[in-house]
Amino acid sequence: MQEWLAPAMFVFAFALIFTGYPVAFSLGGTALIFSFLGVAMGFFDWALLFAFPERVFGVMSNFVLLAVPFFIFMGTMLEKAKLADDLLTTIGKLFGPLRGGLGLAVVFVGALLAAATGVVGASVVAMGLISLPVMQRYGYSTALSTGTICAAGTLGQIIPPSVVLVVLADQLGISVGDLFVGSLIPGLSLAGMYAVFVAGVAVLNPDAAPALPASERDIPWKTLLRQVLLVLVPPLLLILVVLGSIFAGVATPTEAGALGATGALLLAAIHRRLTMKALRATMDETAKLTSMVVFLLIGSTAFALVFRGLNGDLWIEELLTGLPGGKVGLLVVANLAIFILGFFIDFFEIAFIIIPLLAPAARILGIDMVWFGVMIGLNLQTSFLTPPFGFSLFYLRGVAPKEISTAQIYKGVLPFIGIQLIALLLIMLFPEMVTGLLD
Amino acid sequence: MERWVRCAASVDRGVDGIGRAVGWLTLLMVLVGSYNAIMRYSGRFFGWNLASNAYIELQWYLFSLVFLLGAAYTARQNRHVRVDVLYGRLSTKGRAWVDMLGTLLLMLPFSIFALVVSWPSVRNSWIVREASPDEGGLPRYPIKAMILVAFFLLVLQGLSSLTRTIAVLRSDGDEPPEPGDGLPEEEGSVDGALGMTGPSAEGAGGDPGRGI
Repeated sequence: MQEWLAPAMFVFAFALIFTGYPVAFSLGGTALIFSFLGVAMGFFDWALLFAFPERVFGVMSNFVLLAVPFFIFMGTMLEKAKLADDLLTTIGKLFGPLRGGLGLAVVFVGALLAAATGVVGASVVAMGLISLPVMQRYGYSTALSTGTICAAGTLGQIIPPSVVLVVLADQLGISVGDLFVGSLIPGLSLAGMYAVFVAGVAVLNPDAAPALPASERDIPWKTLLRQVLLVLVPPLLLILVVLGSIFAGVATPTEAGALGATGALLLAAIHRRLTMKALRATMDETAKLTSMVVFLLIGSTAFALVFRGLNGDLWIEELLTGLPGGKVGLLVVANLAIFILGFFIDFFEIAFIIIPLLAPAARILGIDMVWFGVMIGLNLQTSFLTPPFGFSLFYLRGVAPKEISTAQIYKGVLPFIGIQLIALLLIMLFPEMVTGLLD
Repeated sequence: MERWVRCAASVDRGVDGIGRAVGWLTLLMVLVGSYNAIMRYSGRFFGWNLASNAYIELQWYLFSLVFLLGAAYTARQNRHVRVDVLYGRLSTKGRAWVDMLGTLLLMLPFSIFALVVSWPSVRNSWIVREASPDEGGLPRYPIKAMILVAFFLLVLQGLSSLTRTIAVLRSDGDEPPEPGDGLPEEEGSVDGALGMTGPSAEGAGGDPGRGI
């Protein structure tokens, strides 16, 4: 009977989560219900639960998690400063007259926004509102344009700095700086692969990605170049300072995040967009998202406390280290589990519930944890693209004109999901892509 | 019922007020964090050392306040993340059922449990006036007490949301009831308590923060 309780708890928690009640409280409630069951059956000690406030206090004083609100603040502020709109408009004009140029502009701006803001929803919405109509007007294939926009928007997950990577590093017990460094080349390669794909389509099927007529560029070259510089330099500087100081080891990610948030305020002020309304919206969003993330963590902490009390951790560990194929077996199971769960649930849930179960087994099998983290990050990023519940798709659906069917959007992301899987395979075959920049 | 709904509305107003205040704390946190970062550089490169444990601790005290005090506000704004695979397809009443049972059986018991198990350790900390282990640090006992405040606010917010969901279930048809007097505008009404969960409903405008 006893050995059934932990697996039952796991299944029960997932069943509750799928009812749609907030995950944090579903997990907390599950913890409570199963601690009662455990006590009633006589093999769970109440005293264990009094560790809960210490765990909460541990979250409060966790220096790594402190980076989460900073990066949220930075990204939201830049979003409210309409950074994406400026970039898309000017870069679009610059690249537009090339064949496939608009698509490339979307990928390029997507990568840039990823490093600056990392807010997937905001990037996709901006691209859907600004670039999509232009692409439609000049005859881009609907599948290509929607797919490119959805995919480029998700780059924020994997190109550092990113809140996902901060949370992953915390859960895997590795340094955030290392995970940022490790994900840089995979993230940029991914953007590169998107660009190659778009360019390839433009070459092989010119009708799908035509060049814009010169008349679309309504301003002289000189003015355009000046605009490009004006809009490109400030965010590039900000990215350089934030990432540079982390990579050079001068600042911790938390410090760099705080400076980045201040930098975002300055950038908004320079563009005269630091209005009271924008500031309030940024603060409100930061408060809500931070609470959401941390309470999810608190709920899963309660869950983990009881799950461990019922020896669930041993059960999972045995299960995962005893897989046929050892390391490879674990990697296959981990990737499949995350990929499949990614169809239905959000990456924060995966990070807080699944990762703590996978991490000890990975460590026992001697897997490089930074590499493991990047692989998980890449896999989670894919979940933003997979129908029917990929967030990127939802956001684009929300802003795309009605003539574009949901099926077309799904069709559009398919090649990009393929690219994701290739990238995942690449970092498995060539771990140096991750570890190369680390000492 | 009407009276209960009015009580719920005043809880909501209080929680909204706290939420607005918490917003300003995020800005303060950014400024304190930047100050700490700059002071550590200047200490390293110029030998001035203006960084102090008090400021370093202030930074995570503010972080703690943001999520502890913000939790009820986030619940009120319906921003605690949900998996809406099924929930998104339910009718208003169906959602109200999920929310009522969830609040009654999961959220409220969990929050009360958190209060019960945290009480002894917060009480101890308060009795001995627990200080920071680091020199010049801030006293620990007030921030630990905030754990109790957070879960107490969650209990209040849970009761308020329970009232609203019951009001939805008791109303005729599938439409939310007329907002009574004292109910905050649009978002505050029953829809706000139950309404959209992910980007599915209003994609763009809804909640661009999801998926950071």
